[in-house]
Amino acid sequence: MSTAPTTAGTATGAAAAPLAAAASTRRRRGSTDRRSPLLTVLVILVLPYFLLPLYWLVVASTKDNGQLFSTFGLWFDQINLVSNLQQVFTAQGGIFWTWIGNTLLYSVVSAVGAAFLATAAGYAFAKYTFPAGTALFSVVLGSIMVPTTALAIPTYLLFAGVNLTDTRWSVVLPSLVSPFGVYLMRVYAADAVDTQLLEAARVDGAGELRIFFSVALRLLAPGFITVLLFTLVATWNNYFLPLIMLSTPEKYPLTVGLAQWQSAAAAGSGGQVLFSSVITGSLVSIVPLVVAFLYLQKYWQAGLSTGGVKG
Amino acid sequence: MFEIASTPLSRRAALAGLFGVSALGLAACAGSNSGGGGNGASATPVSSDDFAKAMDTDTELTFWTWVPDIQKEVDLFQAKYPKVKVKVVNAGQGLDQYTALRTALKAGKGAPDVCQIEYQYISSFLIGKNLLDLSGMNGFGDLESQYPEWVWNQVARDAAVYAVPQDTGPMGMLYRDDLLKAAGVQAPTTWDEFATAAQTYRTASTNSYLTDLPPNQAGQMIGFMWANGAKPFAYDGDKTVTVDLTGTEAKQVVEFWQGLVQKDLVAVDPDFTDQWYQGLSAGTYASWLTAAWGPVFLQGTAKNTSGNWRAAQLPQFTAGGKATGNWGGSTDAVISTTKNPVAAAELARWINVEREPAMKLATEQFLFPPLNSVLQDSSFVGQTPEFYGGQKVNEVFVEASQNVNTDFEWLPFMDTVYSSYTDVMGPAITNRGDMVGALAQWETKIKDFATSQGFTVK
Amino acid sequence: MTTSVRTAAAPAGSPAPRRRGASPALRRQHRAAYLLVLPFMVVFTAMLVVPLGYAAYLSLYREQLIGGVSFVGVQNYVDALSDPAFLSGLVRVALFLVVQVPIMLGVALVIALLLDSGVLYAQRFIRLAVFLPYAVPGVVATLMWGYLYGPDFGPFAQMATGLGLPKPPFLSSWMLGSIMNIVTWSFVGYNMIIMFAALRGIPTELYEAARVDGASELRIAWSVKIPAIRSAILLTLIFSVIGSFQLFNEPQLLRTLAPSVIDTAYTPNLYAYNLAFTNQNVNYSAAVAFLLALVIAVLSYVVQLSAQRKERRS
Repeated sequence: MSTAPTTAGTATGAAAAPLAAAASTRRRRGSTDRRSPLLTVLVILVLPYFLLPLYWLVVASTKDNGQLFSTFGLWFDQINLVSNLQQVFTAQGGIFWTWIGNTLLYSVVSAVGAAFLATAAGYAFAKYTFPAGTALFSVVLGSIMVPTTALAIPTYLLFAGVNLTDTRWSVVLPSLVSPFGVYLMRVYAADAVDTQLLEAARVDGAGELRIFFSVALRLLAPGFITVLLFTLVATWNNYFLPLIMLSTPEKYPLTVGLAQWQSAAAAGSGGQVLFSSVITGSLVSIVPLVVAFLYLQKYWQAGLSTGGVKG
Repeated sequence: MFEIASTPLSRRAALAGLFGVSALGLAACAGSNSGGGGNGASATPVSSDDFAKAMDTDTELTFWTWVPDIQKEVDLFQAKYPKVKVKVVNAGQGLDQYTALRTALKAGKGAPDVCQIEYQYISSFLIGKNLLDLSGMNGFGDLESQYPEWVWNQVARDAAVYAVPQDTGPMGMLYRDDLLKAAGVQAPTTWDEFATAAQTYRTASTNSYLTDLPPNQAGQMIGFMWANGAKPFAYDGDKTVTVDLTGTEAKQVVEFWQGLVQKDLVAVDPDFTDQWYQGLSAGTYASWLTAAWGPVFLQGTAKNTSGNWRAAQLPQFTAGGKATGNWGGSTDAVISTTKNPVAAAELARWINVEREPAMKLATEQFLFPPLNSVLQDSSFVGQTPEFYGGQKVNEVFVEASQNVNTDFEWLPFMDTVYSSYTDVMGPAITNRGDMVGALAQWETKIKDFATSQGFTVK
Repeated sequence: MTTSVRTAAAPAGSPAPRRRGASPALRRQHRAAYLLVLPFMVVFTAMLVVPLGYAAYLSLYREQLIGGVSFVGVQNYVDALSDPAFLSGLVRVALFLVVQVPIMLGVALVIALLLDSGVLYAQRFIRLAVFLPYAVPGVVATLMWGYLYGPDFGPFAQMATGLGLPKPPFLSSWMLGSIMNIVTWSFVGYNMIIMFAALRGIPTELYEAARVDGASELRIAWSVKIPAIRSAILLTLIFSVIGSFQLFNEPQLLRTLAPSVIDTAYTPNLYAYNLAFTNQNVNYSAAVAFLLALVIAVLSYVVQLSAQRKERRS
């Protein structure tokens, strides 16, 4: 699963979940009497596996470069988090800020764009029967199988041909395509947008596009947001595409920037970049996503339980 | 840990590791293939009037380089020639930049006027005639005499001159004086002594090795071969390449290291990784066989060992010998598509040859100088860094620079050569196995690649 | 993919069946549909179809440093099929698929079932903890595990040394397993969420009766829930097939730690990348990437087909 989610298309896979649940009308939830302390303890015993690297990251972020390699990895030594953070944000003239900005720019623009394109297309595929509609949809679905490398190199060459390599567009444009988002929105729109509502609007004399923008879009909002959030994550974590496309450090997203720092630190860059900066920078880079996920949790919760109430 | 490509040597090369960078080998677009004679576009001799006129005309030059703070030298240039505006661009380091360059050349636009190129990649740009012959340019007439012969041979081919040397990496040895003393070992001057020392040292201190032979470092191994007088590669500038890695001198080097590797007398950790870096500061390796950019690099990475290091000449196969090789370094070349060849050539020459910028490069950016005049300058040679216990380290490497074997050539596709080294020689070293057998395989792989690319292989 | 989630196979909920000589209203609807699909299709064509076509075109040529470009037909494909570097990479990712995917999906399914059946305390916390690694970029995940694997200063090596055990060879003989672990760590949560949401979508009536009859939760899970979310499991499986065969980030990033363990052709994707970017052999690289895509498509198809057959039989 390592590279699939880096393409905008496949990364939205998890979105199927809340969507399917929210869009479906069956629901229930039994009593909570079945809780088992034993099973809970068993599962909690497994959790360290998932949390260990993150715990390590937090611990390591408090160590300076020397301690990193001289103290036990899973426990604290002297706390140097503040000076590490200072290093991260001041290294190379504060380029880390630029990387954060780039990452935000790439992921927000890509996510909003991809979600919008996917919503419009998914809605059309779901709610209109039009010539070539089925054929087009099949082509879009089939494209999910295409490996990233099959595209990366020709895309790079084509972009080079039109002078798009090493521009911000070179990262954003390919991320706008989310075939899986289209698929999701088609499923979602089929359920969430009532055809009779559309008919009623038509009888009232509303134009088709107006119906989409003023009636359907509102109903599609939960699906839209889900596609948006997952494309956001996919672009935030994207490494391969910007790695290939970009060569100017000022345009790097966090992933490529951190990987570059890591190699700089490994190359012993005359004290300019340190392993401690890479580690602390990594921590900083995942904090926004972890916070987003905590917040997102509410969305799933809501999405899932809405379905539950209905059942 | 995350170098992106397997050719760390290219970046070490020019920089003394001031700025590590992912050398993502973005070599997607092969250079345009006009084929035929490897002479780059040739320059018409420039009269002094033409020169004066060119330098007094409003001109904008683009200069691709990854040398940190080179703006300092460029500022000096602009003070001298106010009408020439220079835009310094870091288009990536090593292979990154070459890829960008190849792409730009293929697209026919966007290429710089002047470009940093490492010695071993010059010939790959001769295939497409992408480098301007500078021999007729102002100030190039007496340039040859200002460099050691081996350096000049790296940038000149017959009567043509394709680049101005910027820094070099003659090889020597850095070692931990304290560790060697504690183990009762003297700094070796021959490879025989080195082997004996490795044995003694290993017995004396079980957690440490006399040195490390990185399985991913073709640049170092090729440097050893160069030092031993091997000529594994040659390129006629046209369609013919020569690959001879199994010749006597090259084989002797690999056989020597195989002996140490198989007996577990040297470490085999990949270099420029966090572990290796820790090894240097923790004393896991008591010496580092490196190049002239090594001392400053080490100073930045193993601060805690300050005062314990010393520099010496590279060990020899023949007692009393002095020969060495080169590992790293780079040049500034003028790209043949430039619209301002005269000003571009002057930029490349001026910042690397004129005294003030050349001294700055050597003493502020710590690039090891190729120019004889700087190599003999007491403010450079006389430095006594505390890290090396006050030893005149530069002096050691200046001597090395005088003893680099003069004839050494490269293939016009060194990136492939390096990456196949790691693929083929790497496992043999890591597994402490048949390095000599792997050497033959490596040679075959290179030859096959050359053939598949349409070269005639000799 | 259409078959993987059944609702998608249902006809679109459009009011009017298509017919010749469509009414003006219908024509307006067609126009609107095209207008809505157009922006996506334009970007899709530019960013997916065109590059793919270009890759196909490139794969039929050969460019040499000396001699330039020549048309070679399917020769690049023929070469790739007998290229040990490519084939050994394929075998390696196939092994990866066979070992890692069942573990990852199995763990994900068990956790999803436990969460769904409501037998756990602290459900939200557990769900979040398992899902959290998905939020970590692959680059950072590999960096963290790279440190944890470290033979000198990694905590596992430190603990092993402390206990007088040999250091675990994470970065040498265990490399493939180490990569499997990173991928598993990153994606158990992602797959778990897909399965969990599908489980939440099962109508309770399907198993309340069984529960009343005294069937155990285990029995319900096995006979009712798992069959009911078959399509979601199939979806995760197909994504895993695609992901395994495209393995790139982890080996690429671990390569610097162990350059002689992970060679330039460790996975087919890595090979295609190195062919294009180190060897400048874009044409051959395109052919390799296409063959890889073909393998993935065939495998995904086989997975779907066998799943459908089973479904029909049951």
